[in-house]
Amino acid sequence: MNSLIACPKCRAWLLEDVFNRQALAPCPACGVPVQIEVFPALFRKIAAGPNAQPVMVDGESSCFFHPQKKAVVPCASCGRFLCALCDCEFGGEHLCPACLDAGKSKGKIQALEIKRTRYDSIALGLAVYPMLIFYFTIITAPMALFVAWRYWKAPSSLVQRGHVRAIVAIVIALLQIAAWITFFVLAASHRI
Amino acid sequence: MAATTYTRLTRTRLTRWFAVANAPRVSLWLGNDHLLQVEHDGFGETYKRFYFRDIQAFTMAESPRRAIWNAVLAIPLAGCLIGIIVSAATGPNWVIMPVWFIFTFVFGLPFLINNFRGAACSCEIRTAVQTEPLRSLSRVRQTQKVLARLRPLIAAAQGQLTGEEVSVRMREAAGQSIPPQPATPQSAPPVVS
Repeated sequence: MNSLIACPKCRAWLLEDVFNRQALAPCPACGVPVQIEVFPALFRKIAAGPNAQPVMVDGESSCFFHPQKKAVVPCASCGRFLCALCDCEFGGEHLCPACLDAGKSKGKIQALEIKRTRYDSIALGLAVYPMLIFYFTIITAPMALFVAWRYWKAPSSLVQRGHVRAIVAIVIALLQIAAWITFFVLAASHRI
Repeated sequence: MAATTYTRLTRTRLTRWFAVANAPRVSLWLGNDHLLQVEHDGFGETYKRFYFRDIQAFTMAESPRRAIWNAVLAIPLAGCLIGIIVSAATGPNWVIMPVWFIFTFVFGLPFLINNFRGAACSCEIRTAVQTEPLRSLSRVRQTQKVLARLRPLIAAAQGQLTGEEVSVRMREAAGQSIPPQPATPQSAPPVVS
């Protein structure tokens, strides 16, 4: 990417008069009111990463992944020695690529998480949507209960924590099960 | 690593209107050192983080969405108001009148909300590797409030630039990287048959 900004509407390059004015200003090309906030990162040069140094002295600690390269830091998670190339600094910690990958895939590093399944929403959906055709609830109510119970401790949303949806799902599912039990008891006693 | 706590910046906004259930929604949250865009797809969430130190620019352009909704809502609203006036003029009918009032409310309330929220806009955030639309920022007033909140945080992470400084640097960059204009027919080489 270059360090030029295009008008979000007409995609003409913007060169002056519209930057960091903290208010809308017309685009010189198309006249549409635009507001452009630019920060120093736009003009920052991306520095080249450090090069790993070769092992010079026999017996010197070497990188776990590159035995011919000199170790500079141990991994904060697994303790393996890492060269400058394998050292991934993340959140103030030095990690090896394998631990970083494991942290992402297993959800151990929150800052790397890009997706979460909302089991509480699944339970709520199982409890609520089948009510449109009530007969389905004979199957879906126990399913909703199971999902809510099985994934009670599973990580919920990153931003909205709590068990409100799961509790609502459990209450609705219990009411549906109670309704079905009542129905079958009454049917068995020939009152329906 | 300690879990980040998030503060809500925008309410959840639908990104597709005609979904039957679990319509995709998007919202914006403020973390300790980053902005978090959450995309809800019914039974899961997808996260996009924009670290303050990496944000290069915000762009916002006014969009005609408010005018379009005004046009869509004003036509049935005007019809309902005419219906009320005609019903009142021909002698109040206590069966028809409430129906007109209900429909006036149904179309009038979104019409008022649409205008109360102010001009509509589309917003994008740019980092070194992506330009991402911020779909939860849909109104100018709301976007400016969010920007006022983010500006000092980004300035603390990477400093500030004035408009003049940006213009000077843009002109310098333009000298190096503006793509050339396409060749005009006059300057094109002759076709040899």
